[in-house]
Amino acid sequence: MKKLLMSLLLACTSLICTSGMAQNMAPANDALYKAFGEKNGITLLMDDFVNRVIKDPRIGIHFKDTKPPMLKAKLTDQVCQLTGGPCTYDGADMKTAHSAMDINKGDFHALVENLQSAMEARGIPFIQQNQLLALLAPMHRDVITLH
Amino acid sequence: MIHKLTKTTALIGLALGASLAQADTGKLLLTGGVSTIAGSAGGGLSPWAVIGSNATEGEVGLSAYASRANTQDYSLNSYGLAIGINDRVELSVAQQDFDASPAVALNGIAPFGIAAGQHIQMDVLGVKVKVAGDAVLDSDSWMPQISVGLEYKSVRPGSLQSVFDFMGVKNNGTDFYVSATKLFLDKSFLINGTLRSTNANQGGLLGFGAGNTGTSSRSLVPEFAVAYLVNKKLAIGAEYRVMTNNLESVGSAAGLGNALHADDWKDIFIAWAPTKNVSLTLAYVDLGKVVPGVTGNRNQTGTYLSAQFAF
Repeated sequence: MKKLLMSLLLACTSLICTSGMAQNMAPANDALYKAFGEKNGITLLMDDFVNRVIKDPRIGIHFKDTKPPMLKAKLTDQVCQLTGGPCTYDGADMKTAHSAMDINKGDFHALVENLQSAMEARGIPFIQQNQLLALLAPMHRDVITLH
Repeated sequence: MIHKLTKTTALIGLALGASLAQADTGKLLLTGGVSTIAGSAGGGLSPWAVIGSNATEGEVGLSAYASRANTQDYSLNSYGLAIGINDRVELSVAQQDFDASPAVALNGIAPFGIAAGQHIQMDVLGVKVKVAGDAVLDSDSWMPQISVGLEYKSVRPGSLQSVFDFMGVKNNGTDFYVSATKLFLDKSFLINGTLRSTNANQGGLLGFGAGNTGTSSRSLVPEFAVAYLVNKKLAIGAEYRVMTNNLESVGSAAGLGNALHADDWKDIFIAWAPTKNVSLTLAYVDLGKVVPGVTGNRNQTGTYLSAQFAF
């Protein structure tokens, strides 16, 4: 019993200690990029995603000054790069891009939900949906400005 | 007193729920767990570090549940409410109703005066506070979400009070726990570990401590859960909860052998969220031996069904 507790403690400690080590989880290969239908698939996904977000009564207001085609193009580059595709995202970093907006955790969740719906609509398997979400979710630290 | 408190809290909860706009936050389905039999958010048997309800930061949400477990010789009905505040604090109330009918056999050992079909009822007040991390969104690190919590429990054994007195157990007690929950989002895999400080027997249904033999001190007991998200609406998993076995020595001292032995609790479950507001959990539970002296030394296995509504 004591041994078990000890190893539990050790496990907890090493969990915290290694928390900084897995910072870069961007895939070393382009398997996810391919799973999303490469540039063309991602373009269609981001088109649908942005359309959903703009129409969402919970968060649409945040995009009233945004030009959808520009946003779609930037997001496509960003997701393309994140999933291992041959693109370069040259837009603003997430902190700068959202610093002037009032975004709370609920808004962030709503955004995720719209992305899930858009991925579902494109028939992307759940496990790969979550692989993309795992790449995007840490951005909550920069995107959420209201706590 | 606590019974009244539970009722009052339940009423406040219902009023709150009625006046709440639905917290439609898009929190990922099932990643907030379901309701434990003690009211807190988690698996079925063990609390997790997640904060219950659909509410996230800046919101207040409510969840309500009802569950039933059936084993060879016993059944346990449970229902309750949890209020999630700001994705930081969770307050919960639960009431458990344990059908302890087999206990009437104890009248054959001593004149305990146990009524036929005796039920044991227990109220649980829970508080949980998130202290660090985000189980879902911190997907680039190993850092789990960590919460600390307590469960204050008060048990009403009815005519089994004579047996409680014989065992030297108290009618109320408080568990303290720390939980760490991590969703490995890219693997759709969740793990939870909970470490509980408790002197409860069978979770408190058989009282707290075992004063007659001096084994009433607290134990630190671990609990584990794993879950795999099959899709947005479906999760499967398993739980293991180490239980205290303080009463066995009371039984042996009274010449009853292992009549009061307790085993660890285990289950495998499937949870389904047909909508954002509803989840149904079905489990196969194995509670091991529960007072084997009155149940022919049988293992208590069976089904567990729970429904939760969250706003």
